[in-house]
Amino acid sequence: MNAAWLPLATLATSILAAVVIFLLPEESRRLRTGINLAAAVSKIILVALMVGRVSQGYQDTFSFQIVGGIDFVLRADALGVMFAGLSSLLWLCTTIYAIGYLEGAANRKRFFGFFSLCVASTLGIALAGNLFTFLIFYEMLTLSTYPLVVHAGTAKALAAGRVYLRYTLTGGVVLLLGTVMLYSLTGDHSFASERGLAPYLNDHRGLLTLIFVLLVGGLAVKAAMVPLHGWLPRAMVAPAPVSALLHAVAVVKAGAFGIMRIIYDLYGIELSVELGVTTALAIAASITIIYGSLRAIAQHELKPRLAFSTISQVSYVVLGVSLFGPFGTIGALVHLLHQGLMKVTLFFCAGNYAEELGIHRIDEMDGAGKRMPLTSIAFTVGALGMIGLPPVAGFITKWYLGIGAIQADMYWVVVVLVASSTLNALYFLPIVHRLWFRQGPAHGFGEWPKEQRLGRLETHGWLLWPAVFTAMVSIGAGLLAGLPFSPLDWATRVAIGEYLP
Amino acid sequence: MIASFNLIEGGLALCLCVAALACLFDRHLLRASCLFVVFALFMTLAWWWLEAPWLAVAELILGALLTGASLFYALRAYRPNGAASSHRANATPHYDSFRGSWPHGLTRALLALAWCFMMWGAIRFVMPEMVYSPAEHPLVMAAVVIAATAMGAFALHHHLLRRLLAFNILGSGVFLLLAGMAGTEEGAQALISVGLAIAWLGSLLGALLIRHLFLLEGKNALSLDSQTKEQPQ
Amino acid sequence: MTWRFGLTEATFEPLWLTHWVLAATLALPILFGLLGALFSPRRTLPVALVCVPILLTGVLLLMEYQQAGLLRWQWQVAGVTVSLRLGGVSILMLLVTQWVGAAAALYTPGHLRLTNPGKQARWLWPLMGVLISALSLIWLAADLLTLYAALELMGLAAVGMLLLSGKPAALQAGMRYLLLALVGSLAYLLGVALILGYWGQLNLQALAEVVEPGPVAWIAAALIGAGLALKAALFPLHGWLTPVHESAWTPVSALHAALVVKASLFILLMLWNILLPSSLFAPRFVAWLGMLAIVWGGLVAWRSDSLKTLVASSTVAQLGYLMVAFPLIIGPDIPPLPKALAWEGFWLQLIGHALAKAAMFMAAGNLILATGESSLKGLAGTSRRLPLSLLIFGLASVTLMGLPPSSGFTAKWLLLQAMVMTQQWVAVVALLMGTLLTAAYVFRVFRYSFDETAPRHHYQPLAPSMDLVALALALAAFALGLLAHLPLALLQGGGV
Repeated sequence: MNAAWLPLATLATSILAAVVIFLLPEESRRLRTGINLAAAVSKIILVALMVGRVSQGYQDTFSFQIVGGIDFVLRADALGVMFAGLSSLLWLCTTIYAIGYLEGAANRKRFFGFFSLCVASTLGIALAGNLFTFLIFYEMLTLSTYPLVVHAGTAKALAAGRVYLRYTLTGGVVLLLGTVMLYSLTGDHSFASERGLAPYLNDHRGLLTLIFVLLVGGLAVKAAMVPLHGWLPRAMVAPAPVSALLHAVAVVKAGAFGIMRIIYDLYGIELSVELGVTTALAIAASITIIYGSLRAIAQHELKPRLAFSTISQVSYVVLGVSLFGPFGTIGALVHLLHQGLMKVTLFFCAGNYAEELGIHRIDEMDGAGKRMPLTSIAFTVGALGMIGLPPVAGFITKWYLGIGAIQADMYWVVVVLVASSTLNALYFLPIVHRLWFRQGPAHGFGEWPKEQRLGRLETHGWLLWPAVFTAMVSIGAGLLAGLPFSPLDWATRVAIGEYLP
Repeated sequence: MIASFNLIEGGLALCLCVAALACLFDRHLLRASCLFVVFALFMTLAWWWLEAPWLAVAELILGALLTGASLFYALRAYRPNGAASSHRANATPHYDSFRGSWPHGLTRALLALAWCFMMWGAIRFVMPEMVYSPAEHPLVMAAVVIAATAMGAFALHHHLLRRLLAFNILGSGVFLLLAGMAGTEEGAQALISVGLAIAWLGSLLGALLIRHLFLLEGKNALSLDSQTKEQPQ
Repeated sequence: MTWRFGLTEATFEPLWLTHWVLAATLALPILFGLLGALFSPRRTLPVALVCVPILLTGVLLLMEYQQAGLLRWQWQVAGVTVSLRLGGVSILMLLVTQWVGAAAALYTPGHLRLTNPGKQARWLWPLMGVLISALSLIWLAADLLTLYAALELMGLAAVGMLLLSGKPAALQAGMRYLLLALVGSLAYLLGVALILGYWGQLNLQALAEVVEPGPVAWIAAALIGAGLALKAALFPLHGWLTPVHESAWTPVSALHAALVVKASLFILLMLWNILLPSSLFAPRFVAWLGMLAIVWGGLVAWRSDSLKTLVASSTVAQLGYLMVAFPLIIGPDIPPLPKALAWEGFWLQLIGHALAKAAMFMAAGNLILATGESSLKGLAGTSRRLPLSLLIFGLASVTLMGLPPSSGFTAKWLLLQAMVMTQQWVAVVALLMGTLLTAAYVFRVFRYSFDETAPRHHYQPLAPSMDLVALALALAAFALGLLAHLPLALLQGGGV
């Protein structure tokens, strides 16, 4: 039994939400909030339904023909549902956060409209059943995030938007070229197809490699792999919820997820290894990991430091993908989820510091733990997870990646992992130290840059609770990793499906 | 070859050529317009001679009468005591006073040459006998001369009215050529009559435009073209 | 290949009802145009009422085509044979013409009410009617004489419409356009004369059977090509296009860019297809010019400071996409699959561009009307005050950029696939460059509009119909991306 309506309805919730928000007048704040939350909650329910269906072994597919030989396909498979689950959960958190964050700001209608479109695109990327559909939503994501990046309308934001477009549209064009070449070679190739592209190997080895380079090159722009990462730190001028969304779920993850789709579902891992492209990818990912960490240490402001941390962390996913073996795959998949949870926590916290206390630079954070304890605890959880300390979720990732590297006989990857963890500690621990162990304005030394009393608690409730919630989930994902439907469990299910068809 | 030369046709062709060339190269606009009407009357005779009476009627009404009227209507704008021509009062408005520049002339001449080349090709293949005895079809010969010169004039002239004149004469040349190549069967006649009607409508529109442009701006050439200086007389 | 244009024998005779529908299709626009001149409507509702029967004729013809397949008409008038045919391309373009025409007509009352252009405004209606009728005739005509008459009628109506704004700049531009169009039509006529003199045929179908490649076909194709390229504003001959749009009224610009230039291109493609069935160089030459057009048009639009110049220059670039497809459609040695892909891509691009460009002109017109400024800098702050107009502009520009899920994307996909299959890498690069250049100039507009530091000033309120019509067009262009099989199913040639 094929419930074609399920993926379609999941996609339609956010698109409908976007349309309705665009139709509402700017002033109707309550109704807009209600629609936002209702759409987010109903999407979580729909994704939960899909998770149930997938675990029962169904693959609900919705498809129709666009032109001869090209279909539009939405399919709820295990990998897609995993990403969809992440995006729908974090969408709810980010929406709540954004409602609090943009309280009283201008252009909220535009913001939430494009915000919903952005999430719809992410969901489309997750559920895309072939490369053509993937491409559609991938480009839609580019377009719908642009208004969010330039939301502030300042010269700096507009310049950042220009850089963002320059990178992502060029990447999109390269991806388009690769996709067209692949379609010309093989015709419409579903992600669900069992064969992979192995039959073309003998005759078209060079062409397959070229197409792989084009596809992954196009996707690497969004995944912010060095040297295509230039847009990400600049895009930090966007409002905090946008940064959270860009970094944790939507844009960079779309790139990483795309690379997963290409390797696992399109080329097949054996073929990729056979072509020798995985080693090249692993090297590129390692360079990105180290480079991102090094640059992060050099930053003095909080958000750019987190941005470079993202560059480094997302490449863990790519690194895991390029390791041949189930553990590397599990590590990659699970990191896709864990990094999202932890990074979104960190960005929420950074936004809270900026909103409540006006803190942008790291040296202004002394003693903030006393003033904002819950936020600071959440931040600490996220930071420790990023370093990879147990029991936070980040530990599991690095553990699996390390085992995967050893299984694949790529010992240098272990060195990269250790080095990167050290670097992570180097740039996160000083912040944690400042938060808790330095004397600051809360202890009567100096003043906060721009303090506002936003709520009865340490800050506005809409800002606080999403951060606390995601921090708790990050710990939970680490502690309860053995339970069914935990990220690890689901990632294992996907990996088994990949290696034991 | 001499025997097949028809005196009346030859004379008609000669008259057509002379009228067309005079009209194209006369800088006095009123006289040029009069010459155009004369040319159109010769065209009428030519159609009559080619046994296309309906075309002759159409040429008489559309070409000579209506187009001529349009041209004179446009010319009224250039009266020295015209409504808005005060700043040009000392110029002689019935006189085209533009002088071309070398690069402009060269590029335009190249275009006109390309046109002549195409025409040569057309005749070379459709009427191969023309190549050996050009005088056999004097009207076609005249059409070639007229069309070639008119295209050159259209390309080189700046003054709008003279370009309009050149277009009209070019049109007549092309129609004659068409009749020469395809005969005057019904299809060709229909094409030519449609062409005549269009040419008249175009001339009328052009005349209206010239008048309005002159009244609004005091210009009688297009801005891009008038980079070449308009020399005071 | 001529079967693709519906130049084959029909299976069924048209019914008597179809004759009347055909007559209504061709006559109603002129009739209602004259009525418009008499009553000069100031409200949208009467215009909408009048549009309904015209649109209905199109739908009836569509149903007839779907039932009976290709339809042909032939009449003898005073020894001259006039022949029409209703094939896949014809019905498709006829529908696009009618709907875009209706959209422009619906847009007009609001525009006239706000701009108060004076008395000459009433002439817009008959000219619009003549234009729509002439365009419909062009899509249907199957002989050179009818094509010539319809082409000229369309050209003159278009010139007349562009002049209506009455500004000196408009008159200047219009005069240049008029002279060039007239000379272009003489070149066309000489080409037709050559065909008629050599093969003695005006009927396209009969001509396609007797034509053999050779110098005569080349010269005729060159003459016809030069004349029509001039009218279609194909790349090196596009100089007149931008000034003409600069000062024209918005609905006129929309109609002109959407349909008028396309009609000349259509005739060019059809006649070359007949005259040069296996020529190697001519289509290649056009394709090279098309690549230059993509780059050049994009650069000009990128550098321009005026919104209308930007939109008009983008037409030059977008026509380049169509030119690049020429060797794929009429070139020799193209396997059937890429040929079919390019054919579908060509028409989808043409339709998508027609809808999107009309929407874009309307959105740009709305923005200019509301802000009172025609420069890009004048757009500062519009994203807050005029979000709808800007959204329409955005939707239209997504189609022009060829980003998914718009029709421009699907069209570009089809063209790219055909080019990759035939290894035309230069064209592939040109197409992709075009995407980036389009994005560059489109997002320049958005960058100005997102500027929040602009001083507030007065915004003229717009009539709701103006925004709604433009939105409908933009959404149609958008939706055709995923629903591309609907129009493309009609393109499967004349056969049932």
